[in-house]
Amino acid sequence: MTRIVVDPVTRIEGHLRIEASVVDGCVSDAWSSSTMFRGIELILQGRDPRDAWAFCQRICGVCTTVHAIASIRAVEDAIGAVPPPNARVLRNLVMAAQAVQDHVIHFYHLHALDWVDVVSALKADPAETSQLAMSISDWHDSSAKYFKGVQARLQAFVDRGQLGPFGNAYWGHPAYKLPPAANLMAVAHYLAALDWQREFIKLHAILGGKNPHLQSFLVGGMATPIDPDSQAALNADTIGALRGLVAGARDFVNQVYIPDLLAIASFYKDWAGYGAGVGNYLVYGEYPLTDEPHAPKFLPAGVIRGRDLAHVEAFDPEKITEQVTHSWYTYSEGDKAALHPSHGQTNPKYTGPTPPYEFLDTNAKYSWLKSPRYDGQAMEVGPLARMLVAYGSGHARVRELVDGALAKLGVGPEVLFSTLGRVAARGLETELLAEKMGDWVDELAANMGRGELRIHDNDKWDPSSWPKFAHGAGFHEAPRGSLGHWVRIADGKIENYQCVVPSTWNAGPRDALGAPGPYEAALVGTPVADPEQPLEILRTVHSFDPCMACGVH
Amino acid sequence: MVAEAQAPLERYYVWDVVVRVTHWAIALSIWLLAATGIYIGHPFLAGAFTMGWAKVIHFYTAIVFTLAVFARVVWMFLGPRRSSWRNFVPASKRRWRDLVATIKFYLLLRLEPPRTIGHNPLAGASYLAVFGMYAVMIVTGLAMYSVSDYTWLRGCQVLLPVLHGVQGARWLHHATMWLLLMFFVAHVFFSMLTSRNEKNGELDSIFSGYKFLPKGQPPDDE
Amino acid sequence: MPVIGDGFRRELEARGISRREFVGFCAGVAAILGLPKSAVAQVARALETKPKPTLVWLELQDCAGCTESFLRASKPSAADVILDLLSVDYHETLMAAAGHRAEAALADVVAKKPGEYIAVVEGSIPTGNGYCTVGGRSAQQIVDDVCSHAAAVIAVGTCAAFGGLPAAAPNPTGGRSVGDAVPGIRKLVNMPACPVNGENLAALVTYYLTYGKWPALDHLHRPLFAYGKSIHDACERRAHFDAGQYVEAWGDAGHRAGFCLYKMGCKGPATFHNCPNVGWNEHTSWPVGCGHPCIGCAEPAFWDRMTPFYEHLAGVPGFGVGTSIDRVGAWATAAVAGTFTAHALVQLTRRKLAETAAKKQRAAESSAAPPQPQPKDKQP
Ligand code: HEM
Ligand code: HEM
Ligand code: NFV
Ligand code: SF4
Ligand code: SF4
Ligand code: F3S
Ligand SMILES: [Mg+2]
Repeated sequence: MTRIVVDPVTRIEGHLRIEASVVDGCVSDAWSSSTMFRGIELILQGRDPRDAWAFCQRICGVCTTVHAIASIRAVEDAIGAVPPPNARVLRNLVMAAQAVQDHVIHFYHLHALDWVDVVSALKADPAETSQLAMSISDWHDSSAKYFKGVQARLQAFVDRGQLGPFGNAYWGHPAYKLPPAANLMAVAHYLAALDWQREFIKLHAILGGKNPHLQSFLVGGMATPIDPDSQAALNADTIGALRGLVAGARDFVNQVYIPDLLAIASFYKDWAGYGAGVGNYLVYGEYPLTDEPHAPKFLPAGVIRGRDLAHVEAFDPEKITEQVTHSWYTYSEGDKAALHPSHGQTNPKYTGPTPPYEFLDTNAKYSWLKSPRYDGQAMEVGPLARMLVAYGSGHARVRELVDGALAKLGVGPEVLFSTLGRVAARGLETELLAEKMGDWVDELAANMGRGELRIHDNDKWDPSSWPKFAHGAGFHEAPRGSLGHWVRIADGKIENYQCVVPSTWNAGPRDALGAPGPYEAALVGTPVADPEQPLEILRTVHSFDPCMACGVH
Repeated sequence: MVAEAQAPLERYYVWDVVVRVTHWAIALSIWLLAATGIYIGHPFLAGAFTMGWAKVIHFYTAIVFTLAVFARVVWMFLGPRRSSWRNFVPASKRRWRDLVATIKFYLLLRLEPPRTIGHNPLAGASYLAVFGMYAVMIVTGLAMYSVSDYTWLRGCQVLLPVLHGVQGARWLHHATMWLLLMFFVAHVFFSMLTSRNEKNGELDSIFSGYKFLPKGQPPDDE
Repeated sequence: MPVIGDGFRRELEARGISRREFVGFCAGVAAILGLPKSAVAQVARALETKPKPTLVWLELQDCAGCTESFLRASKPSAADVILDLLSVDYHETLMAAAGHRAEAALADVVAKKPGEYIAVVEGSIPTGNGYCTVGGRSAQQIVDDVCSHAAAVIAVGTCAAFGGLPAAAPNPTGGRSVGDAVPGIRKLVNMPACPVNGENLAALVTYYLTYGKWPALDHLHRPLFAYGKSIHDACERRAHFDAGQYVEAWGDAGHRAGFCLYKMGCKGPATFHNCPNVGWNEHTSWPVGCGHPCIGCAEPAFWDRMTPFYEHLAGVPGFGVGTSIDRVGAWATAAVAGTFTAHALVQLTRRKLAETAAKKQRAAESSAAPPQPQPKDKQP
């Protein structure tokens, strides 16, 4: 048995450490630990609840917006503020844009190098690459000249001898399976996606002033005024710009991301056999379609247990708890307790080894992540969970997309419960949302047209309009999964604040019963050809799109 | 006001012209600064360039205020005995004794104040605090001003970290303004009270420079 | 060190970028830096011929927002910086290698190029043990090693420059800025804002590559080209501020007309940054431009000093929410006035009583002896 440590896990957000024991070239057991803590839940105590979103937003700069959304929803729930229709539409656009951009960056910049051998791209024939590209997509940048240019740039870069971020990597590893032409195509799109994301995210700047860390959120609404007859508000000009950006995103996703995804997946079908994990899936639901408190959502909430797609249970927030048995915190009720977040606690107490250290004591506490449980069970959250719950609930468009992709790859739905399934679900969700965004732009335009210009619930802005004691919860489907914030307010100030975050769900350590979290479970059975080059471990971990700044906060 | 005094009175020249002119320059500029300052903090009327005017008036008045304070401080060291810094700092034994006596008087523990003709020692000590407040107003004001200044005054930006940034300076500027306004209320009440109680021309003295005491009863601090 | 020269030109050609387009790009860079037209050629020459310096990027108590912001830079873009301008040998979010191999890349730079490389730091450094480790080493051990051997340290974002969010009260982890955590850094450049504006970071890199030195800094180590002016002094809504035209409620007529956000708590007057000039996301917009007040995200301790974000000023410690210093001050002043009015009334009444008593006594005495003037200070 070899004990291997991957720390830092790179190409993710934050500080993740994986320890694994490898027996006969296969992971037999794994431990997931996050090694950075800031204490944002503690920093929030005593502050104005209307400011909380800005603090929470800085939990993460990759999934910027998501904690801001959860926070304003939690406070609105507590004080009874009701955002007007425009605020819902603007938020839907902001959230969907976040998901689309985040997923594309994840695929190309955080995940692709697990599947794509950059050095092999130098050996490709640009003409062949061009043929390949044109056979799978109508994307305009597909000429041999274009790919030749990219290859030349890459060659010049390599010739200089300074490999920068591509140095020391696993090029030539036997687990890389793509032919050179496909590698070159992926490298070209790595660079193209870098330019594309910069352009597309201007949508956030239009609706939020800047990205990352948009600045147009308000408890009770949004801060971007709407007025078709003003040059200082969202107007017809904005609608035009939004339409252009959404169309551009749709093109890029449909003509670059999805074809690349399917092309790459077709070489890695064996990864449908690894990385399933806990097999339980949780979704809070997202994208409210109307304005009443329990509005129907574009992506439905639900719970799937034991990979049983036929039975989607209703989601019940009361069943959520967090444990700290293996986390560097204490609970006043004892460390085996499971607390509901509405009265959750954050009492940090580091008991790990004194740095510099080589191994964690994984029998004791070993992570800054807590262990969230639903009805006592570990749950996977994220795009795969959302697609599964929507699929199981009979969401027509999701069924169409999922079945279409499975047919193209010539596989059945059982492959979804895997590393590959996770990667595919993320792509399909991106396609779904890029497509849906157009409807919300139209809704915004229609509101403007009939003089519906309200953006905020002014009645609940002044703290004197709030009850003396209040508590609330805000739920959101972030790119990486289900996110919840719980707030308690006393005398107009935050008394307690708790966040249970997608990456806490997925990356959390073992619970009081010793049951592993989703990463830990998914890694078991992963092949490791060379313990010095843990490429396969990265594949499965990356398929979750880890974010540790989020998970710990 | 002193007409009803029954005993014949003696006239003492206490406030020289520098003291009186700076007193009124400071007092009036504080009023203008507070009025424009509160407007700057809470602009309530929209209209043509109102904020612009408020700021312009605030800044020019701040110059008058700063120069008057500066002049008065210099005069504390150059001017005659009654204007000296010694009247503010309770440094001598007898000023301490009188200070305690005055506090007792104001706490209604003693019906008569010690008979002084310059500042009574409590007033003197409170004026010291007031001069401290002037300094705070000037320092915080300059720190805020330095943000948008491109002359040598820009150097005052080094004050900002000490003051916890512009917001810290702004907060102190406000808080100290209220302390000054509180002082003003107390100050005018005391002046009227003393003037009435002692029938010594207190209130007029800051206009005319003269105070009065009954003949044959020279002030203790003479 | 290899020289960019040939490779760079070859690349440009390969990318179908003409000389004219390249000079146009350099002009954009010069504009960000506020350089005169005459400097464009110098920028171009520098980009073509200077050797490619090594850069390592450390992420500590961060949120990766500054990294993301760097990916939004356009002049030059992140791809330009990573592939052409610098050798980015370590950046956890971007690098292909993981674990030991990643750490080896960092160790290599420190061992082989001491005093030559640039270290970028994102996030604060905790003082408590175990609050932030990478590869088993604590953040403090890492910065001690990497920053003290760097030619220059660029602290990106308010967390690295001033402590930022982790250091907000009550600072549960003892988070500190790089400057505080590693005294005696050779050259410290603070690039605050939450996140740093990628465009400013790009401009800083270009400045360095162009002139071979770092830009002029202020007393907080911030480059003047990006932090030399307050938001308020360059704000497009400034005319409305001076005219007394303010947003009074979200979505009101003033808000829709682009009035000044001062009364909604705007901290533009208290914040040094160039958002109004450079904008965000290639000039698309900026916070005040989109209708929300500036929250002062580039200032030291802004999480404590600029909050509550929607109030003009912080409240008074110990008083409840919504009690501004002005409300407390006005009430205190009224209380003083009330107290002295009461005081005066008591004084006057007591004196009146005393005088009446004295009169009575005098009346009683006058029947026995001739009247005499009463010395005042003998009264009871
Ligand atoms: C006793 C005298 C003074 C009073 C009562 C006073 C009062 C005020 C008040 C209430 C404000 C509003 C602050 C805000 O909320 O933004 C203000 C602003 C200001 N004051 Fe004063 N002030 C005084 C003296 C000075 C002096 C001596 C200066 C020196 C330069 C000064 C410079 C400023 C500046 C620069 C501002 C900020 C204006 C702005 O934010 O645009 N003040 N003052
Ligand atoms: C904001 C307004 C005012 C401030 C800050 C202020 C401040 C001062 C100060 C610092 C002194 C000491 C004088 C010196 O030695 O330079 C003083 C003396 C005096 N002030 Fe004012 N003053 C104000 C308004 C007034 C007003 C309105 C009156 C009259 C109604 C007044 C009456 C007097 C008198 C009578 C004295 C002499 C007191 C003594 O004998 O100790 N003051 N004032
Ligand atoms: N996990 C996570 Fe996030 C997301 N998506 C947050 O809620 O990435 Ni930073
Ligand atoms: S400065 Fe802001 S964006 Fe940058 S790391 Fe800190 S919290 Fe994140
Ligand atoms: S919006 Fe803010 S920065 Fe702009 S003028 Fe008004 S107060 Fe100044
Ligand atoms: S909040 Fe920050 S981004 Fe600019 S406008 Fe204010 S400095
Ligand atoms: Mg939490």
